[in-house]
Amino acid sequence: MDELKVGVISCSGEECLGGTISRLATRKVLEELSFVSTVTLCLPLYLAGGKEERDFAKVFPTIAVDGCDKLCAKRSTEKYSGKINGSVDVSKIIGNENALNTDTVLIKDLTEEHLQMVDKVASEIIKAISAINPDSYSGKTFGGCSCGS
Amino acid sequence: MHKKVKVIPCSGIGKVYGLMAREAALKTVHELCPEKSETVCLAYIMTEDEAVRNKIEGFNCITVDGCPKMCASKNVSWIGGRVIDEMKVLDTVKEHKGKKFGSATTLDADGYVVVDEIADKIVKKIKDIIKEKL
Repeated sequence: MDELKVGVISCSGEECLGGTISRLATRKVLEELSFVSTVTLCLPLYLAGGKEERDFAKVFPTIAVDGCDKLCAKRSTEKYSGKINGSVDVSKIIGNENALNTDTVLIKDLTEEHLQMVDKVASEIIKAISAINPDSYSGKTFGGCSCGS
Repeated sequence: MHKKVKVIPCSGIGKVYGLMAREAALKTVHELCPEKSETVCLAYIMTEDEAVRNKIEGFNCITVDGCPKMCASKNVSWIGGRVIDEMKVLDTVKEHKGKKFGSATTLDADGYVVVDEIADKIVKKIKDIIKEKL
């Protein structure tokens, strides 16, 4: 394996806290994880037909992070790039009531309690990455994402 | 409920501009204009589930995009939303050259200045849309 890369695709849902947490936890993993190179796939670009995003998810192992049990990121990724390697449902980690909270969604309104939720979800994403079969790391020639992330 | 103007950001996760789009849209629907606007998850929109299609198809939408790829606008149009205005974060950012806005994770003070300006523009557009309907 020349290069270990994992894609993480977050729903970043705008309607509820679960989406905000999914986005922040994904960013945290991207910024802090060191044993493997993570790439965040931009879901809107992916859905708008971004070829490089879709190709990345076909070639490299990819984890979907969803804020609620609608699992939009997982469903969309599997629709266009085939089966994903892991799925994190934020509502199962922080509870449905928190995930579906529609009052607190702006990052400036987050409290210490919310940031602890971000840490918990980030830990679950790292667990999901750690559980990926090493044989999945097959993408050695992919050039990167068009958005530059 | 569905008569409200939909404000839908890209929330792009790779750059600060995606976060600015998200925060501006959410500030609008939660703080500045909650009676006249609402947001709908972009990821949910693209599942094309009937429930979300019923919320978007034929309704007035304002999209807020963080980069020139205009993914929010494209996706909302694709599902049948009436995109009345396509807000581009970069149009406002251009007026703040040399400033540091933060990262894709958190915004600095200058980032929030731009967010507030974009949110004000969205509110103005919502008011225009509602005025036209009267």
